[in-house]
Amino acid sequence: MSCGNHHDVPCVQIHAWMWIYLDNELEQESAHLVGHHLEECPPCSDQFTAERIIQTRIRQCSETVQTPEGLRTRIFTQIQQTVTDQ
Amino acid sequence: MTQTVSFVALDPGVVGSVVMSTETQNATAARFERDVAPFLDSLYGAALRMTRNPTDAEDLVQEATLKAFAAFDSFTEGTNLKAWLFRILTNTYINQYRKKQRAPLHTSADELTEGELNEVGENLGMRSAEAEAMARLADGEIVDALAALPEDFRMAVYLVDIEGFSYKEAAEIMETPVGTVMSRLSRGRKQLRELLRDYAAERGFIAAEVKS
Repeated sequence: MSCGNHHDVPCVQIHAWMWIYLDNELEQESAHLVGHHLEECPPCSDQFTAERIIQTRIRQCSETVQTPEGLRTRIFTQIQQTVTDQ
Repeated sequence: MTQTVSFVALDPGVVGSVVMSTETQNATAARFERDVAPFLDSLYGAALRMTRNPTDAEDLVQEATLKAFAAFDSFTEGTNLKAWLFRILTNTYINQYRKKQRAPLHTSADELTEGELNEVGENLGMRSAEAEAMARLADGEIVDALAALPEDFRMAVYLVDIEGFSYKEAAEIMETPVGTVMSRLSRGRKQLRELLRDYAAERGFIAAEVKS
């Protein structure tokens, strides 16, 4: 997919870097190129926005797990026991 | 439930330098509880996602924390405790629970070539309007979609997207090269988005033909 306009770094390369960039794992120099590309390429920029929306949503619905109190107690009681048994 | 805990030392790659300590066992137990307690919810959440079953998740967390305590001497204080605990959890899961489950593995041949990586980015082509529609799906639908991913892909997605581990940390936890993490992550994310797009189309949030 390309927007058809000329860029220093082609859209296809930007797409290949997208997740690495969004994960803050892209080396600085390449990240700078991505940033520059996004400023001048609305289709790529929109796709990055789409990714951020999905990432945020996935994180949101996975945040609320609490350890059952019984498990918490069981674990630390058992550890205390292994210590006293020795 | 009674459980026998074997005090297995982890392989040398797992541990940092062994700190000789004059600490009493009781003091170690107290320090362990203090340091590990804040991560229990994360560990339990991860265990739930791995086993997809609350009873198995509880057993898994219990077994992993007991193993962690047995190996706690080998943990270097000040290094990444969460990653260390996740590594033990993941290993315990692989050794004890995966055998029972039918999920197919992708342990080999899952490195992507650069061409394929390009293709992953290229094929996605998601637009923000579409993403907003997909974000309207209920929590349960998103959790289902995550659970439907092949296990190794799901693990990579959980570790990086939900737990916030770096590629390097995820690689250490999964005991794979960083490239493998990236490839599993790409594939997992792509499949997940395809599923979410299908669900959103089924619910009428987006037109089915929008799917490219």
